[in-house]
Amino acid sequence: MSFAKNGAMKSRKRKEKVINIISIVIIALVAAAVLFPIWWIFRTSLMSNAEIYKYPPAFFPSRWLLSNYREALKIFEFWKYFSNTMMIIVPAVIGGTLTATICGYAFARLRFRGKKLLFMLCVGSMLLPAMVTLIPLYIMWTRILGFQDSYMPLILPYLTGGGAFNIFLIRQFIMTVPRELDEAATIDGAGRFRILTRIIVPAIKPAMIVVGLFIFITLWNDLLQQMIYINSADKFTIALGLTNFRGQLKQDWSLTMCATCLSFAPGVIFYLIGQKYFVEGIVMTGLKN
Amino acid sequence: MNAFTRKSQKRHSHIYASEERTAYLCLIPAIIGLTFITYLPLLAVLVLSLFNWSGLGSMKFIGINNYIKLFTTDPYMLDSIRVTIYFAILAVIGSMIYSLFIAMLLNRKIPARTFWRAVYYVPYVLPATAIYVGWSWLYESNFGLFNYLLTRVGLSKVMFIADSRYVIPSLALIAVWLSGNLIVIFLAGLQNVPRVYHEAAEIDGANGWQRFRNVTLPCMTPIIFYNLLMSLITNMQIVTPALALTNGGPGNSSRFITYLMYDRAFIGNKLGYASAVSFVFFILIAVFTGILFATSKNWIFYEGGDER
Repeated sequence: MSFAKNGAMKSRKRKEKVINIISIVIIALVAAAVLFPIWWIFRTSLMSNAEIYKYPPAFFPSRWLLSNYREALKIFEFWKYFSNTMMIIVPAVIGGTLTATICGYAFARLRFRGKKLLFMLCVGSMLLPAMVTLIPLYIMWTRILGFQDSYMPLILPYLTGGGAFNIFLIRQFIMTVPRELDEAATIDGAGRFRILTRIIVPAIKPAMIVVGLFIFITLWNDLLQQMIYINSADKFTIALGLTNFRGQLKQDWSLTMCATCLSFAPGVIFYLIGQKYFVEGIVMTGLKN
Repeated sequence: MNAFTRKSQKRHSHIYASEERTAYLCLIPAIIGLTFITYLPLLAVLVLSLFNWSGLGSMKFIGINNYIKLFTTDPYMLDSIRVTIYFAILAVIGSMIYSLFIAMLLNRKIPARTFWRAVYYVPYVLPATAIYVGWSWLYESNFGLFNYLLTRVGLSKVMFIADSRYVIPSLALIAVWLSGNLIVIFLAGLQNVPRVYHEAAEIDGANGWQRFRNVTLPCMTPIIFYNLLMSLITNMQIVTPALALTNGGPGNSSRFITYLMYDRAFIGNKLGYASAVSFVFFILIAVFTGILFATSKNWIFYEGGDER
């Protein structure tokens, strides 16, 4: 390598280094800006109402008023809402993941008449926004099937494969599992059910967890459907409880922020535990499609 | 499939029959779902929209009268279409630029990349209702964080979600903040861009911008398309802020078409009329995704030619 070229390389390396430093500074600043609203909400939840309205506002509470939470919990019945929410989410996640796996397996591995058509209908339904069919489904669940003030309309749709997107995701994953494994097991005398449970499922476990997380997030973010299907306060979910709480205590910001932080908490805790799957799962969906 | 396998398939036709039976058995949930949760309801929306029905009592067929009423006498319809499109455009463009930019920075050789990626993803795991309630405090007209920041830099206070001019941009900002999932997908895509392309371009003397324009961007077009599509479908369906915070106000300024549908169906008990709103909404989304698909052929670059 000539001397001049070496010098050019060095200067380019130095330039790269400078750009990298600028990048990390921007990344850190924007990340701080992303987290700051959450901190601001949390810090408000620990302040007295007098302190909230002080100018200039404090970045840290002068005293951490955990008693705010005790106060908020008197109206915002978090544990009840949480267990109600779980009564929807747990069966939906389990049922959705299992049915999506079975359906995905059929699409990936089995030959049958009408496969192409069925698969096309499945993929096509991914583009249909759920909002469009809200009213007929409401009529079906409440008028035809008689589910009044019930969690069933929120859970049952997930027992049909958990949505086309999830079936599609599972199918894509099973396609990456080598067929030779199935064939070897068949020679060893294993039936299809055994192949599914002993070979396919262990191989696609990450994808199944991702499907479960997607169902979790969808239900976790929902407000509209819970609003139209659930009426009695006894059955309120976190989202309904929070909306209701805000209606009651519109101006009490610190207590409202307590309720908000309590609603954040399960998501944050699940995220900290399952972080790897949350992030990797999104990666999978982006690249597999 | 070659002749041999076809022949052996015939020989094992009883195996094939059992395979088929298993397949249909496995697909019962999907078939029920596609029939009763997806396609029949879609048809039902269209049928219901031709009736006058309060949900109780008898249905009265009125042809396309609901649609005529929607576009001639309903004071909210056109506004709600305009608001929905306005929000979707701001939210989609904002989150695409933001997430691609952050993903490109994260794609450089920086320490603790997974940590940063995880940080940007945090807003996505919070429940939507709580996010809007929390942000309503940040946007508060007198004591909110954003107004404090505005007064600090010498600007006058803004009512954000209580001002019809600012409510949509304010909500779109939340949507951008929430788009951590797009960052993660973009980053994964960027890491899949073959390094050799960059190296080849570098040897040819391409500078940073040229490499972005001619190497990164073309390789990323399939991912950009996917993110654009998902982001569009998500943001056009926005309804939670209107339900949890604004009730469509101030005025009609956040009366999204989804909210209009909810309002007509579940507050006004006009299920037929609300179905007409749903169907218009369906057409609206179909037009937008249709445009996206139709133009995609011109700008999506698939590696390895036209194999897809």
